Amino acid sequence: MIGTAEGRRRPRFRLEPYVEFARTAMAREATYRFDVFTTIGSFVVRVYLLRMVWTALYAHNAAPHELSRHAIITYSAVALLMGIVMDIDQTRALKDKLHDGSIATDFLKPIIVPFYFFADGTGEVLFHAVLLIPATLIALLIFHIIVPAPAVLAAFALSFFLGYMVGFFLNFLLNCSAFWTLEISAVQLIVTWLTDLFGGELIPLILFPAFLQNFIYALPFAAMFSTPLLIYVGVIPPSRYLESMGLQLVWIVVLALVSTVMWRAGSRRIVVQGG
Amino acid sequence: MAIIEATDLTKVFRRIVRRPGIGGAVRALFSREYEDKVAVDGVNFTLAEGELVGYLGPNGAGKSTTIKILTGILVPTSGSVRVAGVVPYQRRQENAENIGVVFGQRSQLYWDLPLRESFELLRAIYDVPRNRYLENLAHFSAILDLERFFDTPVRQLSLGERMRGDFAAAMLHDPKIVYLDEPTIGLDVVAKEAIREFITRVNRERGTTVILTTHDLADVERLTPRVILIDEGRVIFDGALERLRTEYGTHRTLVVTFAEAPIEIDVPGAELEGREGLVARLRFDRRLLSAEALIRRVMERYPISDVSIIEPDIDTIVRRIYVEGYQHGPVGTPS
Amino acid sequence: MGLGLRRMAGVYRQYWRINILTTLEYRENFLVWFAFTFVYHGSSIAALWIVLSRFPSMNGWSFRDMAFLYAIWMVAHALHNTLFSTVGEIPEHIRDGEFDRLLVRPLDTLFQAIATPGQVFPDELVLAIFTFVAATIYAGVHVDALFLTFIPPIVIGGALIDLGINLIISTAAFWFVKVDALRWIFVQLEQEFTRYPITIYTRSVRLVLTFVFPFAFMNYFPARYFLHKGMSGLGLPPVAGLLTPAIGVVFVALAYVFWRFGLNRYQGVGH
Repeated sequence: MIGTAEGRRRPRFRLEPYVEFARTAMAREATYRFDVFTTIGSFVVRVYLLRMVWTALYAHNAAPHELSRHAIITYSAVALLMGIVMDIDQTRALKDKLHDGSIATDFLKPIIVPFYFFADGTGEVLFHAVLLIPATLIALLIFHIIVPAPAVLAAFALSFFLGYMVGFFLNFLLNCSAFWTLEISAVQLIVTWLTDLFGGELIPLILFPAFLQNFIYALPFAAMFSTPLLIYVGVIPPSRYLESMGLQLVWIVVLALVSTVMWRAGSRRIVVQGG
Repeated sequence: MAIIEATDLTKVFRRIVRRPGIGGAVRALFSREYEDKVAVDGVNFTLAEGELVGYLGPNGAGKSTTIKILTGILVPTSGSVRVAGVVPYQRRQENAENIGVVFGQRSQLYWDLPLRESFELLRAIYDVPRNRYLENLAHFSAILDLERFFDTPVRQLSLGERMRGDFAAAMLHDPKIVYLDEPTIGLDVVAKEAIREFITRVNRERGTTVILTTHDLADVERLTPRVILIDEGRVIFDGALERLRTEYGTHRTLVVTFAEAPIEIDVPGAELEGREGLVARLRFDRRLLSAEALIRRVMERYPISDVSIIEPDIDTIVRRIYVEGYQHGPVGTPS
Repeated sequence: MGLGLRRMAGVYRQYWRINILTTLEYRENFLVWFAFTFVYHGSSIAALWIVLSRFPSMNGWSFRDMAFLYAIWMVAHALHNTLFSTVGEIPEHIRDGEFDRLLVRPLDTLFQAIATPGQVFPDELVLAIFTFVAATIYAGVHVDALFLTFIPPIVIGGALIDLGINLIISTAAFWFVKVDALRWIFVQLEQEFTRYPITIYTRSVRLVLTFVFPFAFMNYFPARYFLHKGMSGLGLPPVAGLLTPAIGVVFVALAYVFWRFGLNRYQGVGH
């Protein structure tokens, strides 16, 4: 028999275990030193590559008026910087634990289980966020990316955070689907490719054909990458910050609601079936 | 005739020293420190064809490292080894033809498919002639009762059924030697008995040499006339199980029920192990004192109503050797 | 051992039998992965189309040319995924100890690693062949005896180049616990470096793509030959596009030498 915290007197909430989960996750990530070097290496090579691609395209064609060559290279570099933390599936532990059945033991612990996943994922993200420092320095020194005014930078940071939350809930939602079907890796990869393309991580959405643009804004992916990036390069002017970030917030609320419903239904299933 | 000869077998591992905490982890990104760990330290033994030997030792004693060297997975740091005339790490594939391996915690069966399919693949890998394969299959099915679940996906089998499948899988190609690494771990009594029966019969009927590592000393008592004990990479005993019992099982326990409770129990030559009401347990070394003499001494001092003697079981003996080390007892010489 | 080849053929047949049975056992799963393959290639081609609808020429290559360039890579890559994707699972087997099992069996270790059954199915290859035929027609490539003779060995050579990379990364797992990140980098780099004509890159990158990690031989040189495009600037004549099979064999041979080296270390140092 496995019980949930629901319907019982909850013990006093303590932050400490969650801080500990996050710390453990950071230490875990740090043991894979090879990953650290490859992450930075991959970043450098990919920016270098994208710079060559855009340079070739701009050299042989009429440049789009919205983005100069330098702006689009900056866009790509910042997109890849964001990717260092955005591409992490913070809650994949949920999927893994559902797969091997060890989730049942988490329900026995005196913790709020989704918070555990959130803490674990945050630890992992924080460790990778440290890598942003050298990667950003490289981007500044080697690729001379554009640095906007402090106010724009602050707006970008806020929008980046909102985009991160959209990504977090999207991942959580997908991992929750593992309550019902065990093979979700393929679905997650499909979502990753769609995010790369329709989130504007690879190609700025403003370069898409007009009919595709309408369709894209009905999907959550643009809220993850495109909005902060377009704020960074100034395509979204300050007058439209409220509207753009408001849309990001709407996506956060929608995805948070859906994933809460899924978590509730899913964890009830675990209780009923006993894992 | 010796089928396995290990001479001064030594294996040294290099291990990374991890420092605790995030600071340590960050430092480890740039520099690493290593330490040497001697897993196997000058091990010597020989096995005759058709022997059934228990290779015992606590966790980390070097059991599985030895097995990995014998099976050709690892190259020893120094020393020499020959298995059925072949140096395993030099001619790994040739050695592989001669051996079968069962890792108790790791199956070689394909999870999603029935046993039949795994067996067919193994038949192809070892190139077992079709009629020999069918013969073996029939024989193993008879002992292990495989037919019942032969066409069920392995993931739906119980642990006991799966282990039976794994045993048959390891024996399909008539190996001269089988290495069984913790074969009965986690099994229930019935399954354990089936596996033990299988090991005995394979050894007796086919003359297969068997090396068994286990933590379950009941396996040893039931199966292996000879045991090799290893601790901290060294062989600390090699000989007949009976000799282990006589040499290390020197302490017996006399259980005395007194007619009336004595205030203090003091018997020369015996040590009071425990006492509960009228019953006391006296431990004595049978080399120094016979049971009869001890009983006489007890009766001279106290009125008693009953006595019984507990012989040390193999579990106790081995535990004592692990804990106390081998310096207290005589070290066995290779037979 | 002289019997090696006949025995390997027997094992290989069983391997495919198990693959197909396992795939049938998990039909829904198979369909989801097929959808993934479809979206993966679909979104890649869509990205090319989006870029080229805004910038009509990439150093003289149109979308039609680029579709053909992509399709050659896709077939070679799909062939590799069908025959050799199991090589990518070696690091995981080293980590969980399953790799030792291969060492106690009387067959070549790498062959056994390749023939480790799982859920492999030639679906991507079928999709790739259809895409290739469509792209060949769309790009207006002249299909003659030369084309039909050379395309199969070129595709096989491309798959071998992929195998070489895969094997080199998996071999690194003998030294490093986790090579997932390294593999991810190569997957991404291959994906991007094979997408565009290499003339857009600087000379040093072109040299690396030609002589170090010969991705350019998977699709660029063959496509340049069949589409009659200009020189690469590396002084290689167009006919270099037909060298892919030889390059693939040499590259895999080098990767195999590295593999043997790593395997010896694994058995010597242990873990």
